[in-house]
Amino acid sequence: MNAQAQTAPILSARGLRHSFGSTEALRGIDVDIHPGEVLAVMGPSGSGKSTLLHCLAGVITPDAGSVTYQPGPAVGQSVTISSLNEAGRSRLRLTEFGFVFQFGQLLPELSALDNVTIPLLLNGTRRKDALQRSAELLDRLGLQDNGTKRPSELSGGQAQRVAVARALATAPKILFADEPTGSLDSLAAENVLTQMLQLVREAGTTLVMITHDPRTAAYADREILVRDGAVAAGYQVAP
Amino acid sequence: MNVAILRLALAGSRSAVGRLAGIMAGVAIGVCLLLLLWGAADGLAQRDARGAWLRETGGPAYQPPVDGDPHAASVPIPLGPDTMLVARPAEHFRDSVINRVDVAALPDTSARIPGIPAPPKPGEYYASPALQELIQETPADQLADRFGSFAGTIGNEALPGRDSLIVVTGATESEIRSSNGGAGLVSEFTTNPYGDNALAYRTAFLAGGLAVLFPILLLISIVSNLGAAQRRERFATLRLIGATPGTVARISAAEAAVPCLAGALLGIALSALVRPLAAEIPVNGTRVFIDDLATDWTAAAVVAAAVVLSAMLAAGQRTLGAGTGPLGVTRAMPEPMPTPRRALPLLAGFLCLGALAFAAGVPELRSPWWEIPFMVGGFVLIMAGLVIIGPWLTLLVSRAGLRFARSAISVIASSRIAATPSATFRSVAGLVIAVFVVSIFAGGSSALRNVGVPAAVPGVLQPASVRTFIDPAASPDAVDALATQVNGTAGLHATVAYGSGGYGTDESGDQIYIEAAEAVWLGLTEAPDAGTAVLDAGFLNAWNREPVVASASPAILPELTPFAIIVHTDAAPESVDRARTLLVRSRVAAGPPMSPLDDAATGSTRLVAGLSALAYVGMFVAVSISAISLAVATASAMLDRKRILGLMRLMGMPASSLRRIVTREAAVPLLTVLLLAVGLGFLVAWMMVTSLGPAYKMDWPGADYFTALGLSLGIGAAALVSTFGLLRTSTGMSVTRFE
Amino acid sequence: MNNSLALLGLLQRQPSYGYDLKHSYDRYFGTEKALAFGQVYATLARMARDEFILALGDETGGGPDRKQYRITEAGQERVSDWLFTPDVPSENLQSNLFAKTVIALLTDDDAARLLELQRAEHMSRMRALTKLKQGASILQVLICDHGLFHIEADLRWIDLTGARLAQLKKELQGA
Repeated sequence: MNAQAQTAPILSARGLRHSFGSTEALRGIDVDIHPGEVLAVMGPSGSGKSTLLHCLAGVITPDAGSVTYQPGPAVGQSVTISSLNEAGRSRLRLTEFGFVFQFGQLLPELSALDNVTIPLLLNGTRRKDALQRSAELLDRLGLQDNGTKRPSELSGGQAQRVAVARALATAPKILFADEPTGSLDSLAAENVLTQMLQLVREAGTTLVMITHDPRTAAYADREILVRDGAVAAGYQVAP
Repeated sequence: MNVAILRLALAGSRSAVGRLAGIMAGVAIGVCLLLLLWGAADGLAQRDARGAWLRETGGPAYQPPVDGDPHAASVPIPLGPDTMLVARPAEHFRDSVINRVDVAALPDTSARIPGIPAPPKPGEYYASPALQELIQETPADQLADRFGSFAGTIGNEALPGRDSLIVVTGATESEIRSSNGGAGLVSEFTTNPYGDNALAYRTAFLAGGLAVLFPILLLISIVSNLGAAQRRERFATLRLIGATPGTVARISAAEAAVPCLAGALLGIALSALVRPLAAEIPVNGTRVFIDDLATDWTAAAVVAAAVVLSAMLAAGQRTLGAGTGPLGVTRAMPEPMPTPRRALPLLAGFLCLGALAFAAGVPELRSPWWEIPFMVGGFVLIMAGLVIIGPWLTLLVSRAGLRFARSAISVIASSRIAATPSATFRSVAGLVIAVFVVSIFAGGSSALRNVGVPAAVPGVLQPASVRTFIDPAASPDAVDALATQVNGTAGLHATVAYGSGGYGTDESGDQIYIEAAEAVWLGLTEAPDAGTAVLDAGFLNAWNREPVVASASPAILPELTPFAIIVHTDAAPESVDRARTLLVRSRVAAGPPMSPLDDAATGSTRLVAGLSALAYVGMFVAVSISAISLAVATASAMLDRKRILGLMRLMGMPASSLRRIVTREAAVPLLTVLLLAVGLGFLVAWMMVTSLGPAYKMDWPGADYFTALGLSLGIGAAALVSTFGLLRTSTGMSVTRFE
Repeated sequence: MNNSLALLGLLQRQPSYGYDLKHSYDRYFGTEKALAFGQVYATLARMARDEFILALGDETGGGPDRKQYRITEAGQERVSDWLFTPDVPSENLQSNLFAKTVIALLTDDDAARLLELQRAEHMSRMRALTKLKQGASILQVLICDHGLFHIEADLRWIDLTGARLAQLKKELQGA
C-alpha cells in the first residue's frame, strides 16, 4: 500500500458533500484512488456509497468539494470533474470510464454482441471494427457462443459478463462497478469477479467496486467503509 | 370482485392520477370528435335531402311528335292545376353559382315549391337569406336587376346550408318555354338526395369519416394503455396477494371504465360547446346550420357506450394477454412477429380497384350494383391494409437497417423497432392514414384544376367575356338596343355575331359572321382589316381550346340573323357581373349567359372541390389527433424504459443521442409506409376521377398538397419534439438508483 | 475468551467487591456458564500480583469476597491494549470480541473503533485467503472457501453489531 501511496492518485476526492432534499447523503468525504488498484467501497444500505460513486464518476456534481481526475503523470492532464458541465462529464464517462451495474443494464432488444459495441460506436469506432473487438472480448469472457442471444436468453452471470465486456470495450482508465454481483449466486459471482479482475489487472485498469458483500470485497486490494455519508474512522486518507 | 382488491387497484399514487387524467382527456377529445363526425354525417345527409328539390328537372314540357314523324311539330303540354313549368338557368355571380329556379304556374296551382308559400308571380322572386343579403349589398346593376322584385325569403327547411344561394323567380309561361334552358313540367319536387356523383360523393365521405375515426380510436387505445409498465408491477402485487388472472383482468377493465366514462361525458359536453365553432367550417361552399350538427341522445349514448366498452375490453384483454404472474412478468413477452400474410388485405384492395379500373374501359361491365361495393370495399381494404401491412414492412426495413447500421443510434433504434414492430408502427399509423386520405383528395383536386379558369389565348373565346345566344324570335332592333346599352356601360363592349339562321333553327350553319373591326374585341389576331369576317361557330363554345381564324367574307351582316352577342369585359368582377345582369334582363337571350369563368364554379367540379375542402378539415383533425397519439405513444414508450435509457446516459451517451434514437424510432415506420400511403392515395383518387367521366384527368398535385403533407409531417415532428423535455427529465440519474 | 481481561475491564468501570464482580460478569458474559467463585478469586489474586489491580483495605472479616478492588494505571493500559488489538480471525474469537465490545461500551470507550479495527483485520484475512485461491487446486479452494465463509460470518456479526451499538449501549448502561 505504501508503494501505491507514492504515485499520484488517478482519482482524488476532497470534502465531498451532497444532499438529496433534506437528506445528507455525503457529509464530507476524502478519497484517493491510485492507478491500477482495485478498491472496494463497502457500507450498509443508505450509507451514501452509490452517491459517492456517482460523484467520483461525474454522474452527479457534488454540492461541495472537488473530484480531480489525473489519468497520467503530466500535470496538465488533470481534470476537475466536479466543475465540468454535463456534456463534458458525459464525454469523460464515455471515453475514460466504464460502468457495470447490478442488473438490467443491457438493452433488451439488442443481441449480446450489439450491446457490447454500443460504447465503441458512440466513440466513433467503425461498426465492423467494433463488432470484431466485441467478439474478442466475449471470447475472453467465455461467451463465444452467446453473441447473437438477447439479454433475456442469457443467465444472470452471462448477462453480467456481457455487461463487463461492454464496460471494458473502450479500454477505460477506470471501471466503476456498483454491486456487480449483487443478484448472482456465489459461484456465478465468483466467475464474474475472477474474469472481470483478470481483464482489469491485465489492462492495468483501475477498478472502483461498490459492494456490501465481504467475499466480493475480498477480491480488492483494499477497501474503504462508508458509514452515514462519511468514510469510517479506520479507512481515512492519511493527511 | 373483492372490494378490498378493487380499492387497492384504484388507490391513487400521483402517477396513477396523471394516467387517469390522460385517459380522461384523450377519451373526451375522441368522443367529442366522434359525435361531431356523427352529427356532420347525419347533418350533411339531411342537408342533401333539403337541397334535393333543387335538382328536380321535371317531366317533358312538350308532347313528342306523333308516330315518330320527324317533321311534325312537337306540341306543348299545357299547364295544369297541379303542375308548374320550371327552368333552371345557370346563374353566376363572381365565382359562386346561384341556384336559380324560374317557375311559371297558373294562379291557382296546387303545386308547391319547398320553403315558400306559393309560386312567385312573374317579376317577383323569393331568395334565400344569404342571397338576399348579397343582393342588398351589391349594386342593383350587377345582381338585383336579374331577378325582379323581392317577394320573400325561402325557409330554412328548403336550404342546404346557411350560405346557400338560391332564388326562385316568377316568369310567364311563354318566357320559360322560349328559354333554351330546357323547361320541365313539375308536379312534385324530388326528395332523392344524391345526384349523378353519388359514388364519388359517398366514397369521399367514407374516406373523410374513416380518416378522422381511425386516429380517434387509435388515440383511445394508446391512451388507455398509458403507464403499462408500472401497472404490470402493481398487478403482479395483486396476483401475489391472491388475485386470479381473471380478477386482475376485471380490475384492469374496471379501472379503465371509470376515466373512460368520465371522459365520454366530458366529450359529450364538449361537443355541444364546440358545435357552433364546427358549424363555421364551410362544407361544399356553405356553412351548415348548427342544428344539422346536433346529435340526439341516442347517438351520444351509443358513442359513449361503445368507447367505454371497447376500452374496457381492450384493457382486460391486454392484462390477460400480458400474462402477469405473482412474481411479475418474468420475461418480457416478445411481440408476435408480423408475417408476410399481412400483405393480404392490401392485395385484396388492389384487386378490387384493379377490377374497377378494368371495367371502366368496358362500358357493358359497368354497373353501380357492383361498382359501389367494390369502390367502397377496395377503399376500406386498402386503408385497413396499410395499417395491417405497416408492422411487417417496418420489420423488414428495420432488419435491413440493423444490418447496415453504422452508428450506435441506428443499432439501438433498429433493434428496438425490429423487436416491437407493431407497437412502433402503431404510434405513426394515424399519420399514415391521414397522409393516405390527403393524397386521395389531392389527386382528386388535381383533376379539377384542369377545368379551372383557362388562360387567355388568341383565337379562343376570351376568359373574361360573357356571351349568350339570341332568341330567333327577337327583333334585330332589340338586339341592337341591347348592344348599344352594353356599349354604354363602362368596361363592357358588345359584339353581335350573325348566322345564316337563328340560334337553334335548321337554317343556322356552322359559321358565324362579325364586323371585321370587332375581331380585335374577341381576341382574334388573324382577321381581315375591313368588311365582314367569318369564323367557325365552335368559337362560341367555352370549352373550345383550338384557335379559330377569321377570314374575309362577302356576306352582308344586315341580311343575316342575329345569332349571339358576345360581351367583352375589362375582366373586373363587377364588369363581368354587370354584363351577366344586362344579358339576363334583356328579353332577347335564348338562354342564360355563359362565360369561360363559369366552369371554375360549376357542377361536379365544385362538388368534389367542396369535398376536398372537407377532407382537408378532416385531415387536419386526423393529423392533430395522430400527432397527440404519436406524442403519447413516444412518451409512454420512453417512460416504460426510462431506467435503461437512464443507464445509457449514465454510461456517457449524450441526451442528444437519445433524442435521435426516439426520433428515428418514429421516423422509420413513418417513412417506410409513407410512400406506400401516398401512392395508394393517388391510385384511389385516380379510380374516383376515372369514375367521374373521361373529361377528367389526373395531374401533379398542387402546392396545397405539399403544404398539407409538410404540415402533417411538421405537426408530427412537433409532437415528437414535445416529448424531448420528458426524455431529459425521465432519464435523469435518479431513475438509475436501485431501490 | 479471556476471563481475566474481562474482569479487569469490569473493574475499569468502578471499584467493586469480588462478589459483585462475579455477578456482573455472570450477567454480561455468563449466560451459558457462570463463573465459579474460586476462579474469580484466583484471577483477582493473579492480577493483583501483576499490579493490574489493587485491593482497597480489608473490611470486617477479610475474606476475598469482602475485599474491594480498584484498577491501576497499568491495568487500564492492559485493557486498552486488549480492546484495540484486533484478534486473528479464529473460531473462538467471537466470545472475546463480544466481551471487548461490552467492556468498551460499559467503560464508555470507542466500541465502534474497536469493531472497525477488527473488521479491517477480518478483511485482510479474507483478501489473503482469496489470493490463495487463485491458481490453487480445487481442494485448497474448498478449504479457503470454508475459511472465507466463517470469517464472513464473523464479519457480518461485526457489521450488525456496529449498526446496533447505540441500542446496545443504551441497554447495557441502563441495566
